[in-house]
Amino acid sequence: MSDLLSGLLQESISGIALGCIYALIALGFTLIYKATEVVNFAQGEIMMVGAYVNFFFVTQFTGMAGGLNGWVFLAALLSSILFAVLFGIILDYIINRPLKDAPVFSIIMATISLAIILRSLTAMIAGPISLVPVSPFGDSTIKAGGIVISVLDLAIIICAIILMGLFFFFFNKTRWGIAMKATSADSEAAQLMGIPVKQVYRMVWVFAAIVGVISGVLLAPRMALLDTTMSFLGLKAFPAAILGGFGSIPGAVVGGIILGIIETVSMGTLSFHFAWIKEINDIIVWIVLIAVLMIRPDGLFGIAKVKRV
Amino acid sequence: MKGRYVDENLKWIPILIIAVYLFPFLLKSATFSYKYYLYILNMAGIYIILTVGLDLLSGFTGLMSLGHAAFLAIGAYTSAILVDQAGLPFELSLIITPIIVGLFGFVIGFPALRIEGMYLGLTTMGFGFIVKRLIIALREWTGGSGGLQVSKASLFGITIKNDWDNYFMIYTFVILAIIIARRIVKSKLGRAFMAIRDSEQAAQASGINLAKYKMLSFFISGLFAGFAGVLFAHTNHFISTDHFDILLSIYFIVMVLVGGMSSIYGAVLGTLFIVLMENMFIPLFKDGLSQYMHIEAGDFQPFIFGLIMLIFIIFQPLGLYGMWLKMRIYWKLFPFNPRKRFT
Repeated sequence: MSDLLSGLLQESISGIALGCIYALIALGFTLIYKATEVVNFAQGEIMMVGAYVNFFFVTQFTGMAGGLNGWVFLAALLSSILFAVLFGIILDYIINRPLKDAPVFSIIMATISLAIILRSLTAMIAGPISLVPVSPFGDSTIKAGGIVISVLDLAIIICAIILMGLFFFFFNKTRWGIAMKATSADSEAAQLMGIPVKQVYRMVWVFAAIVGVISGVLLAPRMALLDTTMSFLGLKAFPAAILGGFGSIPGAVVGGIILGIIETVSMGTLSFHFAWIKEINDIIVWIVLIAVLMIRPDGLFGIAKVKRV
Repeated sequence: MKGRYVDENLKWIPILIIAVYLFPFLLKSATFSYKYYLYILNMAGIYIILTVGLDLLSGFTGLMSLGHAAFLAIGAYTSAILVDQAGLPFELSLIITPIIVGLFGFVIGFPALRIEGMYLGLTTMGFGFIVKRLIIALREWTGGSGGLQVSKASLFGITIKNDWDNYFMIYTFVILAIIIARRIVKSKLGRAFMAIRDSEQAAQASGINLAKYKMLSFFISGLFAGFAGVLFAHTNHFISTDHFDILLSIYFIVMVLVGGMSSIYGAVLGTLFIVLMENMFIPLFKDGLSQYMHIEAGDFQPFIFGLIMLIFIIFQPLGLYGMWLKMRIYWKLFPFNPRKRFT
C-alpha cells in the first residue's frame, strides 16, 4: 500500500509541474478571452512555435558562443520573447482586427484555421524530423524524503507561479490592467472613457503570445522529442481553462493543476493497480470536463452570466 | 403546402437531378480514369449527407459541433457490426443505424441544454475523443485499432459491386437528404430552430420548448450523420479509427462554412468544393510547389484548407452560396446596381 501512496505522491508532483504548463496555456486563453471575448484555439500552436523558435535560437547562440552555458539559454529566452511580441502584433492584425464584430462561431473557426495553418507551416519549415531539445538544468534532481523531484519540474512550477502573480498584479493593480478589464466588460463604453481599445487588444495578444512562447520554452525539454504533436497539448489545456471557468485567472491555475495531476496519476500508478484505467487514460481529462460541465456549466470559478433579451 | 417555396424558381431542380444521374455516363465517355473520379464523387456524396445534417444543427439551430466525425464513426461501425456480425440485411441497417446514431445525438443534446457556445464545441470535441477511444476499447466487435473489413452492400437483391453502382445509390440518398432537409427548414420545426439560433430567450418567450427542439436538432443531425456512416462503411470496405480524426470534424465545419452557413445548398456546394479541392487541385499545386521546396503531403493539405477557411471567414462570411446570391442580384438589377453594395 505504501508503494501505491509514494507512487501517487511522486506522480502528483510531476503532475503539478505538467498542470502548471496547462495553467500557463490556459492563462493565454484567459487573457485573450477576458479582453476580447475571443476564444483562441491557436494557443497550443503558439506554444509549439515558441518551442521551435527557442530551439532555433539555442542552436544559433551555441554556435556563436562556442558551447552551451547559462547565458545561451538566457539570450535564447529573451530573443524568443522578442519574437513573441512581434508574433502577437501580427496575430492581432490577422485575427482580431478584421473579425472584431463577427459572431463567436466564425471567430472560433478563424482561430482553428490559424492553428491548422501554424501547425502545417511549422511542419513544412522544420521538416519531418523530430528535434531533441536541450534542458538548461540537465537531468539533475533533488531528493526529499522518499520522493525525487527533477529541477526542471521545480523551475516550471516557480516560473508559473511568478508569471501568474505578475498577471494577477497586472490585472488588478495597474492602469493598463484595469483598462483591459473595462474593455472586456464593454468595449464601447471603454472607448468613450478614453481607453485606447485597439492598443489594449494588441497588448492582450502580445501578452498571450509571450505566455504561449514561455510555456513552450518550459515544456520543450520536458518532452523527450520536439515535433508538431506538441500543439495537441493546447487542446488538452482547454479542459483546464474551462474546468476553472473561462476568464478567471485563479480558475485557470486550479483547473490546470487538477487536470495535470489527474492525467499523470491515471497514467502512472493507477493504471498499474487498476487495469481498466489504462483503456481510458488519454480521455480521462475529457470525461472529467464533461462531468464538471454537466453540474456547473460555467466551470468551477466561472460566474454565470445573466441573460438579457 | 402551397406557397412553401414561392420565392424560389423550382424549374431547374428536375433538370439538375437528371444531370446528376447522367453525369457518370458523361464522365465515362470523357475520361479513361472515370472510376477514380466516381469514387471521389461518392465520398463527396456521403459527406454531403453529413454536412447537410451538420448545417441543420450548426447553421440553423446555432449549436456548435466539433465532434461530427464521431457520429460518422458510430454509424460506420454500427452498420459494419450489424450487417457483418449480426447478419442483418443492409436495408434494415440503413434504417436502424441512423436511429441508433440519432439516439447518441440525443445523449449529446443533454449537455447542450446547459452548455453554450464554445463550451458546447469543446464538449462535442471531447465526445469525439471518447468515442474514438471506446471504439478501440471494444476490440472484440470493432477490431480495435487494427480496423474492420466491411462487406459489400446489397440493396433489394442487387449487390453494389463497384463505384459505378454505388454512385447511383449514394446520389439517390443525397437527393433525398437534400429534399428532406429543405422540407425541415421550411417547416414549423425549421422555424423553431432558426428562432433558437437568433435568440434563445425570445424563442422561449414565444413558446418554443428549448429542450425539445435542441434535442431534436441533435437527433436529426445524428440521423443524417448515421446515414452517411452506413454509406461510408460500405463504400470504403475498410474502416479504422484513423478515418475519424478530430481534423475530419473540423473539415466538416469548414465545408459548411465555406459553402455558407444556414443554407442547405451552401452545405452541398461547400462539400463539393472542399472534396474536389482536396483530391484534384491540391495534388496539382503540390507537384508545382515541390519543385522549389520539400513538402510532405500530410502538411500541405491542412495548410491550404486553413488558408481557404481563414480567407472565407474574413472576406466572404456568407460563403459560396452568399457569393452566388450576390452575383444573381447583381445581374438581375444589372444596369441600375449601386456598386458599393456588391463588393
